[in-house]
Parts: sequence; C-alpha cells; structure tokens
Amino acid sequence: MSPPPATSSPPLMIEARALGFTRRDEDVFGPLDFALRGGEIGLIEGDNGSGKTTLLRVLAGLLRPGTGTVQVLGAQPGSEEARASTIIMGHLLGLKADLSALENLRIGMGLYGRAADANPDAILARVGLDGYANEAVRDLSAGQKKRVALARLALLPARLWLLDEPYANLDRHGIALVNDLLAQHAAAGGAALVTSHGAVNFHQGVTCTVRLAA
Amino acid sequence: MLPVLYAIIVATLFPFALGPEHALLARIAGGVVLVTVLLAMLLALDNVFRGDLDDGALEQMLLSPQPLSVLLAARMLAYWLVTALPLLLVAPILAYMLGLQPAVQPVLLLALLLATPLLALLGIVLTALTAGTRRSGMLLSLMLLPLAVPIVIFAAGAVGAAQQGLPWIAPLAWLAAALALALVLAPLACATALRIALDT
Repeated sequence: MSPPPATSSPPLMIEARALGFTRRDEDVFGPLDFALRGGEIGLIEGDNGSGKTTLLRVLAGLLRPGTGTVQVLGAQPGSEEARASTIIMGHLLGLKADLSALENLRIGMGLYGRAADANPDAILARVGLDGYANEAVRDLSAGQKKRVALARLALLPARLWLLDEPYANLDRHGIALVNDLLAQHAAAGGAALVTSHGAVNFHQGVTCTVRLAA
Repeated sequence: MLPVLYAIIVATLFPFALGPEHALLARIAGGVVLVTVLLAMLLALDNVFRGDLDDGALEQMLLSPQPLSVLLAARMLAYWLVTALPLLLVAPILAYMLGLQPAVQPVLLLALLLATPLLALLGIVLTALTAGTRRSGMLLSLMLLPLAVPIVIFAAGAVGAAQQGLPWIAPLAWLAAALALALVLAPLACATALRIALDT
C-alpha cells in the first residue's frame, strides 16, 4: 500500500480500470478507464444502445462487471459500504404510484437515512412541488414524478449520485433545477455521474467525460 | 379480496357437484377448506414482486444499505396479513357450511394457522427466484407443487385424525417445526434468490 498523497485531494469516488461488460458474448462497452473524485461531476456520453445505463447499473452493483476492476468508494460495487453512500436514479424512478410524494420520500429516508439538514417539506417546495406533498404520485405528471425523485436525491445522504438521463421529461426550469442540485451536491463534496445521449444544456462544472462508442 | 371470493366460490360449488349428502360433505369438509385456502393464497403469489419490479422500487430496496433479508421478511409478513388472514377469517364459515363437526373446527384453524405462513414463506422464495423472468406463473406453479404436497398432507392429516377422534398433535408439530425453520431461513434464501434472479 502506498501512503496517501500529501496534498489533501478529495476522496476517490469511482475508480475504473479497463472496465468492460459483455452480454451473451457481445461487448456492451469497454474497456474503460476513468476516475471520479468528490466534488466532481462526470458525464457519460453515448448514443442509444451504447451501454450508458448498463455502465451505471454496473457501478451501482446491480450487474457484475465483465472484465477489469472497478471500485466505488474504495469498495466493491454493491457491497454494503458502497451501497450506503450510492444512489441510482434510473428510467424507473422507484416511486410507488399509490403513495403520496411525501410518503415516497419517507420510504427513501427509511431505507437510506436522511442528509444532515434535510427536511422533506422544504425540499419538495424547492423542486417546485409545493402543495403536491399529499397528492398520490399516480396523479402527477411525468415531469412532476421526476421532481419527486430529484427531491429524494437531495434528501438522502448518498455521496455518489448515478443519474440516468436526469433531464428527460423536464421543462426548462426543471433542467435548471437539476443543474442547481448537481452544483450544490458537488460543492458539498459529493460526486455525480450523469448520462446523456445528446446535446443538453449541461451544468458547466463537468470535470470528466466518459465516451461510449455504440 | 380476490382470494377470499375465490375460496368462497370454490367451497360453495362442492356441494353442488357432489350432492347435498351430509355425511359425505362432513367427511371431506376439512380437506376441501384446506386445499381451497391454500390454492386461493397462490393467486396473489405471482404479484408479490411484480409491482416493485415494474416501478423500480425493488432496485431501490436491493441497493439500500439495509439488510435485504429483513426487508423481505417484512414483505412476507405483509403478504400473509393481506392474503392469508382474510382467508383464515372465512375458513371456519366455509367449514361450517360444509358441515364439519364443531369439535374439529379449532384443529382446522390451527392447521391453517401453521400451513398458510409456511406456504407463504416457501412461495415467496420461489417467486423471488423467478422474479426476473416474464410470465413466471407457470414455472412458479410447477416448482411450488412438490413443496405444497407435504404441507397439505400434514394439515389434512391433523384434521382427519381429529374427525376420527384420534390424537392430532403430531402432524401439527411437524408443520410447526417446518414453519420455525422456514421463518429463519426463508428471508435469507429469498434475499439470495432475488439477487441471483435480477443479476442478468
């Protein structure tokens, strides 16, 4: 083990070396080399079907990496240490349609805990769902559902965000909101990996780009 | 509510099919109610993880830092409360309707009280194993059949013994032992099965 570097660089959130994934003997992506530190926002670029979602699922620990090695917060993806501080937001938002926005946030807090100074009502107001707290998620629009999921991100203490197409279904204000939340998360020392398939008016602070070929 | 309606309909149809001969119905009442209740429970089994799988909540559960087996134990308890408990409430009525001797009613209820959670635990483990596959219902039924047979044999054995005035505690003790084992092991097995099923 080499001693830690003298400069106090932020902790390594993701470290991938020659990471690849194969499905039925066919390369989905890789091999990839990249690293993401605390305070950084990474962007995964690639066309439809280039493996962006698969990469995020590997990093979350839902899929086993095929080749190479990957460490999330110094541990195996999907291990208890990694799970405690990672959250993934995919196309399926994981919201229960029959429960209200507030109840869905409470489920999230029950599973993951709560960030230090986070308050569910304040966060719902911040994502523009003031007055919708007790509305069943079933009755919300697609964009509003996305906002509930964003509120959950901001509410939970996870340090690493894996966001799959966070801009989909959102209006101009919603896109600004995502950028806002990302900036705040990065300023607090968190890291985020964001997928995008095209030109989105993306947050300026992108520090690393992972390019996936189709 | 569907399982309860199903159980009522099936149990009501038996006298029409077999004729209203009291002695015959009283003899088969225990077995009919047992099989009807256990079959009705299976109706909801295929859907235990379906909703969570479709809206992504299951992934959130898998990825949360909480121990998955404990979350699944809560899910199993909820399943039993929602499907089996209402069935246990109507089972004595169905048995009475078919003419089961009143003295045997407590034995039937006790047998159901042990058999339904056992079937729920085993069934949910199998459901977890088939969670990733489309139209898992057929596969699930085939896998569950051999596991349900001993449950029915022991439960019906107890009821049959009670009907003939014989000691009925031994088969129930076997059911209770199996239930104790399943209570501890099924959530762990279910967590492993779910991780295997969803790792594609």
